[in-house]
Amino acid sequence: MSATANAVVFTGDDPSDEMTLLDILDHVLNQGVVLRGNVIISLAGVDLVYLGLDVILTSVETALRHVNATTSLPARG
Amino acid sequence: MAAQLTSDGRVLYLYGITQSSPSNIPSSLIGVDRFTPIEAVDCEGVFCWISRVSALDFEKNLASNMENLDWLAETSVAHQRVISAISQITDILPTRFGTVFRTEQSLCKHVAKRVRGLKKDFERIQGADEWGVKVFAIQPASIPMPPARTGKDYLKAKAALLPSRKPKAIPREDLLEFEQALAGVATETAPAGNVSRGQRGLSFQTSLLVRRTKRKKLESILEKFARDWTRERRIECTGPWPPYSFVSRPDDKVRSK
Repeated sequence: MSATANAVVFTGDDPSDEMTLLDILDHVLNQGVVLRGNVIISLAGVDLVYLGLDVILTSVETALRHVNATTSLPARG
Repeated sequence: MAAQLTSDGRVLYLYGITQSSPSNIPSSLIGVDRFTPIEAVDCEGVFCWISRVSALDFEKNLASNMENLDWLAETSVAHQRVISAISQITDILPTRFGTVFRTEQSLCKHVAKRVRGLKKDFERIQGADEWGVKVFAIQPASIPMPPARTGKDYLKAKAALLPSRKPKAIPREDLLEFEQALAGVATETAPAGNVSRGQRGLSFQTSLLVRRTKRKKLESILEKFARDWTRERRIECTGPWPPYSFVSRPDDKVRSK
Protein backbone atom coordinates (compact mmCIF):
# COMPACT_ATOMS: atom_id res chain seq x y z
CA MET A 1 0.00 0.00 0.00
CA SER A 2 1.57 3.26 -0.96
CA ALA A 3 2.09 6.09 1.51
CA THR A 4 -0.54 8.18 -0.25
CA ALA A 5 -3.19 5.47 -0.24
CA ASN A 6 -5.50 7.46 1.99
CA ALA A 7 -4.81 10.84 0.41
CA VAL A 8 -7.37 12.56 -1.75
CA VAL A 9 -5.98 13.32 -5.18
CA PHE A 10 -6.58 17.04 -5.56
CA THR A 11 -6.03 18.36 -9.06
CA GLY A 12 -6.30 21.92 -10.19
CA ASP A 13 -5.70 23.73 -6.94
CA ASP A 14 -2.21 24.62 -8.04
CA PRO A 15 -1.62 26.72 -11.17
CA SER A 16 0.91 24.15 -12.39
CA ASP A 17 -1.68 21.35 -12.28
CA GLU A 18 -3.01 20.13 -15.57
CA MET A 19 -6.63 19.11 -15.48
CA THR A 20 -7.24 15.90 -17.39
CA LEU A 21 -8.98 16.23 -20.71
CA LEU A 22 -11.65 13.92 -19.38
CA ASP A 23 -12.39 16.26 -16.49
CA ILE A 24 -12.35 19.31 -18.73
CA LEU A 25 -14.88 17.73 -21.06
CA ASP A 26 -16.99 16.61 -18.12
CA HIS A 27 -17.33 20.13 -16.80
CA VAL A 28 -17.22 22.14 -20.02
CA LEU A 29 -19.81 19.95 -21.72
CA ASN A 30 -22.01 19.58 -18.69
CA GLN A 31 -24.16 22.69 -18.87
CA GLY A 32 -23.70 26.43 -19.02
CA VAL A 33 -25.99 29.36 -19.63
CA VAL A 34 -28.34 28.76 -22.53
CA LEU A 35 -29.09 31.79 -24.62
CA ARG A 36 -31.11 31.36 -27.72
CA GLY A 37 -28.65 32.66 -30.28
CA ASN A 38 -28.73 32.54 -34.04
CA VAL A 39 -27.00 29.23 -33.77
CA ILE A 40 -26.92 27.05 -30.73
CA ILE A 41 -25.85 23.50 -30.90
CA SER A 42 -27.38 21.67 -28.00
CA LEU A 43 -25.34 18.94 -26.42
CA ALA A 44 -27.63 16.15 -27.41
CA GLY A 45 -24.65 14.80 -29.33
CA VAL A 46 -22.60 14.22 -26.22
CA ASP A 47 -23.59 10.59 -25.99
CA LEU A 48 -22.21 9.94 -29.45
CA VAL A 49 -19.01 11.70 -28.60
CA TYR A 50 -18.83 9.84 -25.33
CA LEU A 51 -18.65 6.43 -26.98
CA GLY A 52 -15.58 7.42 -28.90
CA LEU A 53 -14.05 9.29 -26.02
CA ASP A 54 -14.37 6.31 -23.76
CA VAL A 55 -11.88 4.44 -25.90
CA ILE A 56 -9.54 7.27 -26.78
CA LEU A 57 -9.39 8.81 -23.36
CA THR A 58 -8.24 5.62 -21.71
CA SER A 59 -4.72 6.31 -22.89
CA VAL A 60 -4.96 10.02 -22.10
CA GLU A 61 -6.25 9.17 -18.67
CA THR A 62 -3.39 6.80 -17.97
CA ALA A 63 -0.80 9.33 -19.04
CA LEU A 64 -2.41 12.10 -17.04
CA ARG A 65 -2.88 9.95 -13.99
CA HIS A 66 0.88 9.66 -13.95
CA VAL A 67 1.17 13.45 -14.17
CA ASN A 68 -1.40 13.85 -11.41
CA ALA A 69 0.42 11.42 -9.18
CA THR A 70 3.48 13.62 -9.28
CA THR A 71 1.58 16.86 -8.66
CA SER A 72 -1.09 15.73 -6.21
CA LEU A 73 -0.95 17.02 -2.71
CA PRO A 74 -0.60 14.76 0.28
CA ALA A 75 -3.52 14.69 2.69
CA ARG A 76 -3.46 17.63 5.01
CA GLY A 77 -4.96 16.53 8.26
CA MET B 1 -20.52 49.39 -36.44
CA ALA B 2 -21.43 47.23 -33.50
CA ALA B 3 -24.65 45.89 -34.96
CA GLN B 4 -23.34 45.31 -38.46
CA LEU B 5 -23.34 41.75 -39.70
CA THR B 6 -19.80 40.48 -39.60
CA SER B 7 -18.97 40.45 -43.27
CA ASP B 8 -15.70 38.55 -43.12
CA GLY B 9 -17.25 35.24 -42.18
CA ARG B 10 -16.82 35.76 -38.46
CA VAL B 11 -19.26 34.97 -35.68
CA LEU B 12 -19.17 35.89 -32.02
CA TYR B 13 -18.28 32.98 -29.76
CA LEU B 14 -19.63 33.68 -26.28
CA TYR B 15 -17.68 32.40 -23.24
CA GLY B 16 -19.67 33.84 -20.41
CA ILE B 17 -21.20 36.85 -18.76
CA THR B 18 -19.87 38.95 -15.88
CA GLN B 19 -21.28 41.85 -13.91
CA SER B 20 -18.12 43.89 -14.03
CA SER B 21 -15.50 44.41 -16.68
CA PRO B 22 -12.13 43.82 -15.07
CA SER B 23 -9.35 45.82 -16.62
CA ASN B 24 -6.65 43.28 -15.88
CA ILE B 25 -7.67 40.44 -18.19
CA PRO B 26 -4.37 39.40 -19.76
CA SER B 27 -4.12 40.71 -23.31
CA SER B 28 -2.34 37.48 -24.22
CA LEU B 29 -5.52 35.53 -23.57
CA ILE B 30 -6.80 34.13 -26.86
CA GLY B 31 -10.04 32.55 -27.93
CA VAL B 32 -11.18 29.04 -28.80
CA ASP B 33 -9.67 29.31 -32.27
CA ARG B 34 -6.25 30.04 -30.68
CA PHE B 35 -5.91 33.25 -32.74
CA THR B 36 -8.44 35.93 -31.93
CA PRO B 37 -8.34 38.09 -28.80
CA ILE B 38 -10.99 38.13 -26.11
CA GLU B 39 -13.29 41.14 -25.92
CA ALA B 40 -15.96 42.30 -23.49
CA VAL B 41 -19.21 43.59 -25.00
CA ASP B 42 -21.42 45.71 -22.74
CA CYS B 43 -25.04 44.52 -23.03
CA GLU B 44 -27.68 45.98 -20.77
CA GLY B 45 -25.15 46.57 -17.99
CA VAL B 46 -23.61 43.10 -18.04
CA PHE B 47 -20.46 42.14 -19.92
CA CYS B 48 -20.41 39.40 -22.52
CA TRP B 49 -16.99 37.85 -23.13
CA ILE B 50 -16.55 36.94 -26.78
CA SER B 51 -14.04 36.35 -29.51
CA ARG B 52 -14.63 36.66 -33.23
CA VAL B 53 -14.19 33.22 -34.71
CA SER B 54 -14.58 31.62 -38.12
CA ALA B 55 -18.23 31.17 -39.10
CA LEU B 56 -17.24 28.07 -41.04
CA ASP B 57 -15.76 26.30 -38.02
CA PHE B 58 -18.13 27.54 -35.33
CA GLU B 59 -21.43 27.98 -37.10
CA LYS B 60 -21.69 25.92 -40.26
CA ASN B 61 -19.58 22.97 -39.16
CA LEU B 62 -19.96 23.14 -35.38
CA ALA B 63 -22.02 19.95 -35.07
CA SER B 64 -19.64 17.89 -37.19
CA ASN B 65 -16.59 19.47 -35.55
CA MET B 66 -17.92 18.40 -32.16
CA GLU B 67 -17.75 14.82 -33.30
CA ASN B 68 -14.12 15.29 -34.30
CA LEU B 69 -12.40 14.36 -31.07
CA ASP B 70 -9.17 16.20 -31.81
CA TRP B 71 -11.06 19.40 -32.55
CA LEU B 72 -13.35 18.96 -29.54
CA ALA B 73 -10.42 18.32 -27.22
CA GLU B 74 -8.44 21.36 -28.34
CA THR B 75 -11.44 23.65 -28.45
CA SER B 76 -12.88 22.64 -25.11
CA VAL B 77 -9.50 23.08 -23.44
CA ALA B 78 -9.26 26.58 -24.98
CA HIS B 79 -12.85 27.32 -23.88
CA GLN B 80 -12.01 26.26 -20.33
CA ARG B 81 -8.78 28.29 -20.35
CA VAL B 82 -10.59 31.51 -21.26
CA ILE B 83 -13.41 31.11 -18.75
CA SER B 84 -11.03 30.02 -16.03
CA ALA B 85 -8.80 33.07 -16.60
CA ILE B 86 -11.77 35.41 -16.30
CA SER B 87 -13.18 33.56 -13.29
CA GLN B 88 -9.97 34.12 -11.39
CA ILE B 89 -10.63 37.86 -11.56
CA THR B 90 -14.40 38.13 -11.32
CA ASP B 91 -17.45 35.87 -10.98
CA ILE B 92 -18.53 34.60 -14.38
CA LEU B 93 -21.59 32.75 -15.60
CA PRO B 94 -20.07 30.43 -18.20
CA THR B 95 -22.06 29.95 -21.37
CA ARG B 96 -22.77 26.56 -22.82
CA PHE B 97 -19.96 25.30 -25.05
CA GLY B 98 -20.52 26.24 -28.68
CA THR B 99 -22.80 29.26 -28.23
CA VAL B 100 -22.29 31.65 -31.12
CA PHE B 101 -24.06 34.76 -32.37
CA ARG B 102 -23.87 36.41 -35.75
CA THR B 103 -23.93 39.98 -34.52
CA GLU B 104 -23.48 42.01 -31.36
CA GLN B 105 -27.05 43.14 -31.85
CA SER B 106 -28.45 39.61 -31.71
CA LEU B 107 -26.21 38.79 -28.74
CA CYS B 108 -27.43 41.81 -26.80
CA LYS B 109 -31.04 41.13 -27.75
CA HIS B 110 -30.85 37.64 -26.23
CA VAL B 111 -28.99 38.80 -23.16
CA ALA B 112 -31.52 41.60 -22.61
CA LYS B 113 -34.33 39.03 -22.48
CA ARG B 114 -32.51 37.14 -19.75
CA VAL B 115 -30.91 39.98 -17.83
CA ARG B 116 -33.25 39.77 -14.82
CA GLY B 117 -32.72 36.01 -14.49
CA LEU B 118 -28.99 36.47 -14.94
CA LYS B 119 -28.86 38.78 -11.92
CA LYS B 120 -30.33 35.97 -9.81
CA ASP B 121 -27.82 33.53 -11.27
CA PHE B 122 -24.99 35.87 -10.31
CA GLU B 123 -26.22 35.84 -6.73
CA ARG B 124 -26.25 32.03 -6.70
CA ILE B 125 -22.67 31.67 -7.89
CA GLN B 126 -21.19 34.70 -6.13
CA GLY B 127 -17.89 33.85 -4.45
CA ALA B 128 -18.28 30.16 -5.23
CA ASP B 129 -16.46 27.60 -7.35
CA GLU B 130 -17.45 24.30 -8.85
CA TRP B 131 -15.64 21.17 -7.64
CA GLY B 132 -15.76 17.72 -9.15
CA VAL B 133 -15.67 14.73 -6.81
CA LYS B 134 -15.18 11.15 -7.97
CA VAL B 135 -15.01 7.95 -5.98
CA PHE B 136 -13.22 4.94 -7.46
CA ALA B 137 -13.33 1.35 -6.23
CA ILE B 138 -9.87 0.10 -5.32
CA GLN B 139 -8.87 -3.15 -6.99
CA PRO B 140 -8.01 -6.05 -4.74
CA ALA B 141 -4.28 -6.74 -4.54
CA SER B 142 -3.07 -7.57 -8.01
CA ILE B 143 -2.89 -11.22 -8.85
CA PRO B 144 -0.14 -12.46 -11.14
CA MET B 145 -1.04 -12.91 -14.78
CA PRO B 146 -1.60 -16.57 -15.60
CA PRO B 147 0.63 -17.85 -18.39
CA ALA B 148 -0.95 -17.21 -21.77
CA ARG B 149 -0.43 -19.44 -24.77
CA THR B 150 -1.92 -17.13 -27.36
CA GLY B 151 -2.31 -13.41 -27.86
CA LYS B 152 -6.04 -13.79 -27.32
CA ASP B 153 -5.49 -15.54 -23.98
CA TYR B 154 -3.09 -12.81 -22.95
CA LEU B 155 -5.57 -10.04 -23.75
CA LYS B 156 -8.39 -11.84 -21.94
CA ALA B 157 -6.25 -12.30 -18.85
CA LYS B 158 -5.10 -8.68 -19.01
CA ALA B 159 -8.69 -7.42 -19.35
CA ALA B 160 -9.72 -9.47 -16.32
CA LEU B 161 -7.17 -7.56 -14.24
CA LEU B 162 -8.51 -4.12 -15.19
CA PRO B 163 -10.93 -2.37 -12.84
CA SER B 164 -14.53 -3.04 -13.80
CA ARG B 165 -16.59 -0.53 -15.74
CA LYS B 166 -19.42 -1.41 -13.37
CA PRO B 167 -17.75 -1.55 -9.97
CA LYS B 168 -19.56 -2.76 -6.89
CA ALA B 169 -21.93 -0.04 -5.71
CA ILE B 170 -21.03 1.92 -2.60
CA PRO B 171 -23.22 0.59 0.25
CA ARG B 172 -26.29 2.76 0.68
CA GLU B 173 -25.44 3.97 4.17
CA ASP B 174 -21.86 4.90 3.21
CA LEU B 175 -23.08 6.78 0.15
CA LEU B 176 -25.77 8.57 2.12
CA GLU B 177 -23.28 9.65 4.78
CA PHE B 178 -20.89 10.91 2.09
CA GLU B 179 -23.60 12.78 0.20
CA GLN B 180 -24.91 14.37 3.38
CA ALA B 181 -21.43 15.51 4.37
CA LEU B 182 -20.92 17.07 0.92
CA ALA B 183 -24.36 18.68 0.97
CA GLY B 184 -23.39 20.27 4.26
CA VAL B 185 -20.53 22.15 2.66
CA ALA B 186 -21.95 22.78 -0.84
CA THR B 187 -24.60 25.33 -1.62
CA GLU B 188 -25.79 23.12 -4.49
CA THR B 189 -24.93 19.80 -6.07
CA ALA B 190 -25.39 18.71 -9.68
CA PRO B 191 -25.11 15.44 -11.54
CA ALA B 192 -21.75 15.14 -13.27
CA GLY B 193 -19.88 13.03 -15.70
CA ASN B 194 -21.58 13.00 -19.09
CA VAL B 195 -18.25 12.13 -20.57
CA SER B 196 -16.39 10.17 -17.92
CA ARG B 197 -19.12 7.88 -16.66
CA GLY B 198 -17.44 4.98 -18.43
CA GLN B 199 -14.19 5.42 -16.49
CA ARG B 200 -13.04 2.14 -15.02
CA GLY B 201 -13.68 1.65 -11.33
CA LEU B 202 -15.81 4.81 -11.03
CA SER B 203 -18.47 4.21 -8.37
CA PHE B 204 -19.81 7.72 -7.76
CA GLN B 205 -19.36 11.27 -8.99
CA THR B 206 -20.91 14.65 -8.41
CA SER B 207 -20.34 18.35 -8.97
CA LEU B 208 -20.50 20.72 -6.04
CA LEU B 209 -20.93 24.47 -5.82
CA VAL B 210 -18.85 25.56 -2.85
CA ARG B 211 -18.28 29.05 -1.45
CA ARG B 212 -14.60 29.89 -1.39
CA THR B 213 -14.79 30.37 2.38
CA LYS B 214 -15.77 26.70 2.72
CA ARG B 215 -13.01 25.22 0.61
CA LYS B 216 -10.94 24.01 3.57
CA LYS B 217 -14.01 22.33 5.00
CA LEU B 218 -14.58 20.49 1.73
CA GLU B 219 -10.98 19.33 1.73
CA SER B 220 -11.17 18.06 5.29
CA ILE B 221 -14.42 16.16 4.59
CA LEU B 222 -12.87 14.47 1.56
CA GLU B 223 -9.74 13.62 3.53
CA LYS B 224 -11.80 12.12 6.35
CA PHE B 225 -13.69 9.84 3.96
CA ALA B 226 -10.50 8.96 2.10
CA ARG B 227 -9.02 7.80 5.40
CA ASP B 228 -12.16 5.85 6.35
CA TRP B 229 -12.26 4.20 2.94
CA THR B 230 -8.54 3.59 2.51
CA ARG B 231 -8.81 -0.05 1.51
CA GLU B 232 -12.01 0.07 -0.50
CA ARG B 233 -12.21 3.38 -2.32
CA ARG B 234 -10.13 6.26 -3.63
CA ILE B 235 -11.38 9.84 -3.88
CA GLU B 236 -10.36 12.31 -6.56
CA CYS B 237 -11.26 15.97 -6.44
CA THR B 238 -10.82 18.47 -9.27
CA GLY B 239 -11.26 22.20 -9.10
CA PRO B 240 -11.77 25.02 -8.71
CA TRP B 241 -13.83 25.12 -11.91
CA PRO B 242 -15.96 28.01 -13.12
CA PRO B 243 -19.56 27.15 -12.13
CA TYR B 244 -20.39 25.36 -15.40
CA SER B 245 -22.93 23.02 -13.86
CA PHE B 246 -24.78 25.60 -11.78
CA VAL B 247 -25.97 28.25 -14.17
CA SER B 248 -28.84 26.46 -15.87
CA ARG B 249 -32.25 26.54 -14.33
CA PRO B 250 -35.05 24.05 -14.97
CA ASP B 251 -36.73 26.29 -17.56
CA ASP B 252 -33.47 26.40 -19.54
CA LYS B 253 -33.46 22.65 -19.89
CA VAL B 254 -36.93 22.61 -21.38
CA ARG B 255 -36.17 25.38 -23.82
CA SER B 256 -32.83 23.97 -24.91
CA LYS B 257 -34.28 20.71 -26.25
